[in-house]
Order: sequence, then C-alpha cells, then structure tokens
Amino acid sequence: MQNKDEKSQARDESSVSRRDLLKIAGGLAATIGLTQFISINSLASPLAAGGGDSGGVKWGMLIDINKCIGCNYCTYACQAVNNLADDMLYNVVSTETTQNGTEYFLSRPCMQCAEAPCVHVCPVEATYYREDGIITMDYNRCIGCRYCQVACPYDARVFNWREPIAKSELAPTFGVQEVPNRDRGVVEKCHFCSHRIDDGLLRKLTPGIDQQATPACVVACPTGARVFGDLNDPESPISKAREEAQVTLRLREELSTEPRVYYIPPDTAYKPPFEQGD
Amino acid sequence: MQAIVHYPKIRVGKYSIDIFPYWVALLLGLIAFGLVGAYLVLTQGLHITGLSNKVPWALWITIDLSAIALGGSAFIFGVIVHLLRIKRFEVVGKLAILLGFLGYSTAGMVLLFDLGKPFRFWHPVVYWQPHSLLWEITMCVVLYLAVLMAELMPIVLEHPAFSNHPWLTRFPVLKKLIGPVHKFSHWMHGWSPVLAVIGLTLSLLHQASLGATYSVLSGRGLWFNQSAPVQFVLSAVGGGVALLFFLSIVVFRIMRPGQVKDDVFYDLARISGAATLLLTYLRVWDWAVTNYYSFDREVALQTQLLDTIAPYSLTFWLGQALLPGIAGALLLAAKRIRSFRVLIGLATIPIFNAILMRWNYNFSGLIASISYDPFTPTVILNSYTPTWVEFAVGGMVISYWLLMFTLAARYLPFQRQHDGEHHVH
Repeated sequence: MQNKDEKSQARDESSVSRRDLLKIAGGLAATIGLTQFISINSLASPLAAGGGDSGGVKWGMLIDINKCIGCNYCTYACQAVNNLADDMLYNVVSTETTQNGTEYFLSRPCMQCAEAPCVHVCPVEATYYREDGIITMDYNRCIGCRYCQVACPYDARVFNWREPIAKSELAPTFGVQEVPNRDRGVVEKCHFCSHRIDDGLLRKLTPGIDQQATPACVVACPTGARVFGDLNDPESPISKAREEAQVTLRLREELSTEPRVYYIPPDTAYKPPFEQGD
Repeated sequence: MQAIVHYPKIRVGKYSIDIFPYWVALLLGLIAFGLVGAYLVLTQGLHITGLSNKVPWALWITIDLSAIALGGSAFIFGVIVHLLRIKRFEVVGKLAILLGFLGYSTAGMVLLFDLGKPFRFWHPVVYWQPHSLLWEITMCVVLYLAVLMAELMPIVLEHPAFSNHPWLTRFPVLKKLIGPVHKFSHWMHGWSPVLAVIGLTLSLLHQASLGATYSVLSGRGLWFNQSAPVQFVLSAVGGGVALLFFLSIVVFRIMRPGQVKDDVFYDLARISGAATLLLTYLRVWDWAVTNYYSFDREVALQTQLLDTIAPYSLTFWLGQALLPGIAGALLLAAKRIRSFRVLIGLATIPIFNAILMRWNYNFSGLIASISYDPFTPTVILNSYTPTWVEFAVGGMVISYWLLMFTLAARYLPFQRQHDGEHHVH
C-alpha cells in the first residue's frame, strides 16, 4: 500500500506542471530571442570599416627582399620611435633560406591584415581596424588576455611583461620617442607609425613620399628596400613599385589573412645588393 | 529530520582521528603560500612567471579550462533535476550545482591573475566584441556564474543555521535580514526550470567555444581542428559527471549513508561512461583524419618534435584513446561491476582525460608553432617552464576549491526538498 503511494507520488513529482511548461517555454523563447538579437545585430554585421577592401585609402608596405642587407636599421628606428625594449620588437629581421638553400633577410613588421585574426579574437575590441586599414589598439581598453598573441600567425604582437623602459638606447641615434609609453600588462603592436600618417595628412604631406609622414622603418632603410603608400592609389609609390615588380608575395597567404605587406621574393640568381648598380 | 553525517577518520593504533582540522590547516597553509605569489604577480607583473611572447598561455589557463570542464555536471543535472524532473537525482543534483559553482569561481579566480590588467576584468561586459570567442565565453561564464549562484542559494540556505540558529532569536535584526533572503531563494527556486534552460544554453555555448578558441588559431595547430568544440563539450560531460560520481560517493555513500540509493551512483557512472566513449570515438577519428586520411607535413613534424621533449604520442594513445576507451566501457557497465572501489578508480580516468586534453590543446598546441618564412616554413619548438609563483597561485585556487568542497561536504545538509521545511509543491 505504502509502496503504491510512493509510486504515485513519484509520478506526480516526475510530471511537469502546466505552469512549469510555460516557464520552460518562456525560457527557451527568451534564449532564442537573445541569440537572434546577438546574431542579427552583431555577428552578421560586417566587422568594421577597414576589414576587407572597402575602398578609400589603404596603407600598405612593399619590402624588396633583394635590397635588404639585414642591417636592422628598421628595427632600431622602430625601437627609438616607439620606445621599445630589446625584447619587445614590433619589427623583426631574421635570416631565412629559399628552397635551394640561398640565405636572405626577412624583415617583418605587422602585416596589417585585411582579415586580421587579432581583431577577430580580441574580446573587448581593443584591437580594431582604422578606416585606412591600419590595425591599431586602444591601450586603455586592453585587458591583457593575450589571445591576439596566440592568434597572430606572424608573431607580430608583444606583451608588456614589465614596466616600460625609460628611454631606448637607440634614441636619439635612430630617432626620438614619438608615442606615449604603454602600461605594463597590455599587448601592443606595430601601427605603421599611424601618428606620423595622421599628423602628416593634417599638414598636407603624402605618406610614403614625405619622410615626416612615413613610418620610421621605411625612412630608416638605407637601401630603400621598403616602400610605403596607398594601395588603392595607382600613383602611389607602392602601387608603382608593385607594378614594376614581376612577382610579389605575402606571408602565409594560405591562411587568408590578406596581409597589406607585400614582398618581392629573392632572385634565384642572387646578386649582393651593393653590387647591383643603378 | 537531519541525516547523521559520518566524518572520514583515520585510524592510528587504537585512536580514530578526525582528519578535518589537519586537512583544513593544510589547505589554509597552501592558500597563504599562494597569496604571497598572488601579491607578487599583482605588484610586479607577469614577468615573474614562465610565460613569454611565444607561449603566452600555459599552466593557469589549463587550470582555468579544467576547472570549467569539471564543473560541467552542473548544467547536465540542472536539466535532469529541474527540467526532466527525475527526482531520484535531486540530491546529487545539489552536489553538481555546488561543483559547478566551485569550478567556475576557481576559473574566474585564476584568470584574474593571468590577465595583464586584472582590474579591467569587467571590460568584456561593457565593451562588446561579439565576433570574439573569448568575449562570448566571458559573457557566458559571467551569466552562468550568476545562474549557479541563484541555484546554489537555496541549497546553502537549507542549512539549519539559517532558520533556527539561537542568534536569530537573540538578535531580531538578523531574523529580519534573513527573512527576505529566504523569500528570494524560495521565489528563485520556483524559477529553477528557467534557470536550467538558461544554464544549459550558456554552458553548451561556452564549453563548445572553449574548444573553438583553439580551432581558430590557424597559425598554430597540432590538435586544433573543427571537432574541438564537440570534444570539449563531451569531455566536460564525461569528466564533470565522473567527478560528480567520485565525490558523491564520498559525500553520500561514505558520509551520509542511505541518503542516495546505489542505483543513482550507477547511473552517474553510466552517464560519464557514455560521454567518455563518445569522446574517445571522436578523438580516434580525429587522429585518423589528420594523420591517416590526409597527411600534413607540418602536423607530422610538430608531433615528431613534441615527442622529443615529452611523450605526447604516448599520452594520446594511452591517456586519450586506450584508457578512456576501457574506462568508458566499464563505467557503462557499472551495474554489473557493482564494486564502488573499482568504479571510483575508473572514474578518475575521464577526469584525468578532460584535464589532459586541455593541457594538450592549450600548452602543447602553443609550444609548437609554425614559422612565417615563405619558402621553407619550419616548426619551432618554444619553451616554457612554470615558475614557483605559477605553482603557488595554481595551488592556491585548487586549495580554495578543495576547502570549499570540504566545508560543504561536512556542513551542508543536502536534503531532499520534501524532507525539509520549505515544502514547495
């Protein structure tokens, strides 16, 4: 008898009342509504102006590997201008080899990708596309989670593990500090010297032609291996150089990050850069 | 109507010693030691850890991911108890909610130290970037932690101290304060089916996104693949429920005999076993797809390089294929095995598997990266050695977890709802 009671009680407990059903349905509807709201308003919208080729000015860089002598002046100028410690390089020059074993220097700034993994992964939109395609950061918003570092296929990002240095040893030989220091605990990156571009444009200068409006690494290069300019302007130095170059390549194109830094690959018939003559 | 609680004791000679004070003292010691490390990290910065620009995520993130995974039983039992209304799981369901809360609060705590700017932890809630998996995870975890707190509150308030402590009559103010809390908790309990649905949605979203966090890292990638989200969910179910099985044996079978029927324990083991088998099946397919049906030079090279510094292939075949396969099958047959000693032993394997999987994804996946040079890309093996600070802080959050669990296991009543005085229906 008691057993039967227990059973019927168990059945009562296991059945869902109408009120609960309504609650559950309400919960589900709210969840679906919220998901829809998020996906329509945010996920489905284009990420931001600057991603992809939305027309207008898009700054890019061309690096002629044949002209690079591995002097590291680009790195030094970058360190001086951005006040970077020696273990926090935005720009890195390394010695690499082609398939047939020829050594060459590969110098790597931030690729300023049109489909940048770092912008996609940043949880607080501290990293964002500017209208002109440059990827820059809001250092007051960055929480220092380092997901961008993990996501960047070019190792272009550096984290402030320590307090910023007082003054780079490379200043003033290679330039003076032009941007404020970043706090300990935020990630930072190459920004194509966007402060120079912005100031220059206000003064009616042309980035890529006028030195004051051109990234420090481009200006510092003694062999003119780096060319800077607007990729969408056919008259810009970079567009002309790209047209002139037979072949250009971008790093890790298979990842579809669409970098805005192009390279002229090393000649198979290798000529040392100083013997080329003009 | 409170059940008698048997405290675990150790027998030394003819004395039987309650280990509780010593255990708590040990945990408090570890927490104090961890606080030293935590203070150093907050004041001096992350350079005192073994992290670097090449390996920016390591031990702490693994603890964080594992804590979230092992709290995975909370959403499963939220649904089973409050939505499907399977009443025999009600009591273990309460333990599941507790484990969920402990897992997520532990994860939040360790993450705080891992952030470069810990006091900007609230930024994702204000500055939305819905394209980011990490944003979605943060939002889900924050919201889910709130859900877990709402679900946990009635369980904590069951403690008799909140209804008939002598202080409540001596200081009427306390009684006035506790009244609305009881009312709120009672009202919240009525919403438990809704909380269960929200909890399920949030949990599935972020448990999967934690896997996807690694899937999108195209520049790295030994174990990073499109099935990672499903694997993360399955291992959270397998590992989380295995942990619940393990601990519910301690809390109920050993400490509160008779409160939960043995069949319930067997069911827990079977749920964990099923999820673990499914996960193992996926893992092995995963291996076949990346190493057998297609051949990627870089993946092969990565495996080869990783094998030179640690037994990675072995950990896969032994720790993620063979052992979970066997343990999953045996846990599924829990009712035939019957021996709880054997089952507890087996249940450690899905738990270990969930942690191992996260370690491999997070750490091994990051330590090997592919260089960006265009003609002869190679796999670079970075290096990472955790410093004592990382161990101290890691030990601190784990000790927090253990301490809270110990206190809850000893003091919370874990009664069936209709046994208590708050009869809802």
